[in-house]
Amino acid sequence: MTGLMTRAAPHALTLCVIAFVMILAVLEPAFLSGSNLIGILRAVSLVGIMALGMTFVIMTGGIDLSVGPVSAIAGLVAYFALVAGHGLVAALLAGAGLGLLIGIANGLLVASLGLPAIIVTLGTLSIVRGSALLLGGPDLHGIRDQAAYSFIGSGAIYGIPVPVVIFLVLAAMAWLLQSRTPFGTLVAAVGDNERAAWLSGLNVTAIKAATYGLCGLLAAIAGMIQSSQVHTASATYGKFGTELDVIAAVVLGGTQLSGGAGSVARTLLGVLFLGLLNNGMNILNLSIDIQLIAKGAIIALALSLAARRTG
Amino acid sequence: MTAPLLEATGLGKSYGTLVALKPSDLRLNRGEVRALIGSNGAGKSTLIKCLTGAVTPSGGSVLLEGKPLPLGQPGAIIRSGVSCIYQHSNLAPMMSVMDNISMGRQPTRFGFVDRKTQRTQVQDLLARYGIDLDPDALVGTLPTVKQKEVEIAKALAQDAKVLLMDEPTGWLAVSDVRRLHETVRLLAAKGVGIIYISHMLDEIFAVCDSLTILRDGEVVTERAVDRISRTEVVAAMVGERLARESLAAADSGRKATGSGEVRLSVRGLGRRGVFRDISFDLHAGEILCITGLIGSKRTEMIHALFGSAPHDAGEVLLNGKRLVPRSPAWGMANGIGLVPEDRQHEGLMLGMPIRDNLVMTTLRRFHRFGVLRPRGIDRSVSSLIAALNVQPPRPAQLVGRLSGGNQQKVLIGKWLARDPSVLILDEPTVGVDVGAKAEIYALLRAARDRGMAVLVVSSDLEEVTTLADRIGVMNRGRLLSLRPAAGITRPELVAEIGADA
Ligand SMILES: Nc1ncnc2c1ncn2[C@@H]1O[C@H](COP(=O)(O)OP(=O)(O)OP(=O)(O)O)[C@@H](O)[C@H]1O
Ligand SMILES: [Mg+2]
Repeated sequence: MTGLMTRAAPHALTLCVIAFVMILAVLEPAFLSGSNLIGILRAVSLVGIMALGMTFVIMTGGIDLSVGPVSAIAGLVAYFALVAGHGLVAALLAGAGLGLLIGIANGLLVASLGLPAIIVTLGTLSIVRGSALLLGGPDLHGIRDQAAYSFIGSGAIYGIPVPVVIFLVLAAMAWLLQSRTPFGTLVAAVGDNERAAWLSGLNVTAIKAATYGLCGLLAAIAGMIQSSQVHTASATYGKFGTELDVIAAVVLGGTQLSGGAGSVARTLLGVLFLGLLNNGMNILNLSIDIQLIAKGAIIALALSLAARRTG
Repeated sequence: MTAPLLEATGLGKSYGTLVALKPSDLRLNRGEVRALIGSNGAGKSTLIKCLTGAVTPSGGSVLLEGKPLPLGQPGAIIRSGVSCIYQHSNLAPMMSVMDNISMGRQPTRFGFVDRKTQRTQVQDLLARYGIDLDPDALVGTLPTVKQKEVEIAKALAQDAKVLLMDEPTGWLAVSDVRRLHETVRLLAAKGVGIIYISHMLDEIFAVCDSLTILRDGEVVTERAVDRISRTEVVAAMVGERLARESLAAADSGRKATGSGEVRLSVRGLGRRGVFRDISFDLHAGEILCITGLIGSKRTEMIHALFGSAPHDAGEVLLNGKRLVPRSPAWGMANGIGLVPEDRQHEGLMLGMPIRDNLVMTTLRRFHRFGVLRPRGIDRSVSSLIAALNVQPPRPAQLVGRLSGGNQQKVLIGKWLARDPSVLILDEPTVGVDVGAKAEIYALLRAARDRGMAVLVVSSDLEEVTTLADRIGVMNRGRLLSLRPAAGITRPELVAEIGADA
């Protein structure tokens, strides 16, 4: 029996996802409809995009708590660029560039201060949120008459929402980066044993800067998609708790918070799991309080199953 | 005839389909020091871990003084009187000797730690076993051998009747090893039973009463130490043929100053308060061994050459060009490689597969347009695994799951893969068995013959005298002497190393 458990453990999450799908399909046949499945992907696309970057950060043994405010400020900057008439491309580049820069700053600080990433990015979280409020005030800024920008959040290609398309494309790129390029191995090496990585000639600072930079960039992309979806930009988007969903998706996927080996592919499973969980509870019409409690309990359960693999 | 102190029957352990330890019997009497020996991956550490509870055996039972030992429960096992000293210290470095010794079982009064009683208890204990330690010293400030004694005292404070020692002398220098041996004999005289793992046959014959030889997870020989010869031991460990080959491989031609071409030239290198005035030339095609006591700052010195530690005086010339070592990446860009001493903390990614570890220093060679070429990696990895005879030879195996000696082979392979023009190795064969040692020596000699300049730091005098073309001795941060190795005997070296400068 224990033998079966240990052999099944690596696939626990996959099994959970499959079990979930089957239960929901039986309870509510509408669950399997194409529109519902696409709806699930659409609902997780923002968290999913951020989880891609977070996977690399967590693989280095770090964490990035600042993704929420970074997504907000990127949306704001893109909005102001659009309003000032700089055009779509410039607006997107401005938002993405800012996210990238904040991320790189995070990475450099983590690498050079010798402080835990949780402390450093807690600091950036506050600084970036404050800056966003300074920039945009507490109000919502309506984005009107920007058809191209709105297409990003609300458009569809062959019936598939653009955010889902962006998410899938980015996921494929992140997966390639992690599993098929030296970068993926180097990131895992830094997380597994930073001193050994340094003594093996790796530029640990550059690797961390690149990793947090990637995370910031992806958070910014998610933020711009969000603001385009709701036709508004606001300093308060990416609210508290966003980073927790993102981290939960990564950890559910089996990447260890202590760093080392991790996998983008498995993070995608984690994202899917979260999406199914939320969707299932909505379909079953559970009230929000029950949803929160059930979600917490199920995540804890799934994590303890995943922990068996390493135990 | 009294019952044995510890009696294991049919003790075995499998990991999935791999049988690490076949069902084995082991007996230990009061006051007996039993050596547990065998090649890398033979199952020694597995056996020890079964006895500490760190792993749960797949089968078998253990009696301690006739009572069954609660297998798989580390806490309960310690309480019933079986303790283990690991190679890596498990002490709290920022706490005092006294607090470390009585950790978790300090005497209390009204819920507060009773310092006075604690002190007398610790002092009594140290006096009873004749261990010389200052109870107030911070553990982190003590030399390694003293830390080992603190660990031993801690085990004794927990009323250990059986002490397990897994390669306790890994990084100890000669005189420290002798000191530890005295402590071991003393404990045995007080009736403690000791199981002692080591790859150093000298140690086995100096300190043990009896020995158990494991081979491929099976007990193949059990004998009193005075009823077996060294050659018989080696033969039992690795088989007749390998034993002969490894003896032959040990002797081989020496090439003092190699090809004569100076590869690395060190002039007056120093770092305030650590080492000073280090000057020597390292030639292409030679193996230069630097030996000395632990604390003679050899490690600090070679790290300064590689760029992973600072220096503040002197200069380094590579092929006649002046260099300022800055970082390991810099050192590697200039063709220098360094195999660090501590494979677990400095050398390897334990959570990653053998494959990733072996390509870590050469990753750049294996991609095209930024995408890895798995085929090239696989080829390089399998040839390294074969050259170093890593067991099991599975590239996907996590390094943390290899036996200690096989981890060490991966560490060396990772640097040989790069084929640097200067290779520096710090204690390269700690934890490696006799056969594998000979294989590593052969690989280093082959690299030397291809023109590599090899600098080895080693405390193992047998290693120094077999491997070196030239021998340097360091003491307290200074290079005392540097001579061709031919003709230098071990007693001469011992005298020189211990010499006060
Ligand atoms: N956690 C593990 N998972 C899988 N296999 C393991 C694990 N730990 C050890 N092994 C295997 O068990 C066998 C015995 O290993 P063990 O560590 O006992 O060897 P050893 O005799 O102590 O060797 P060394 O002299 O190198 O320290 C080896 O083949 C090793 O690869
Ligand atoms: Mg071992």
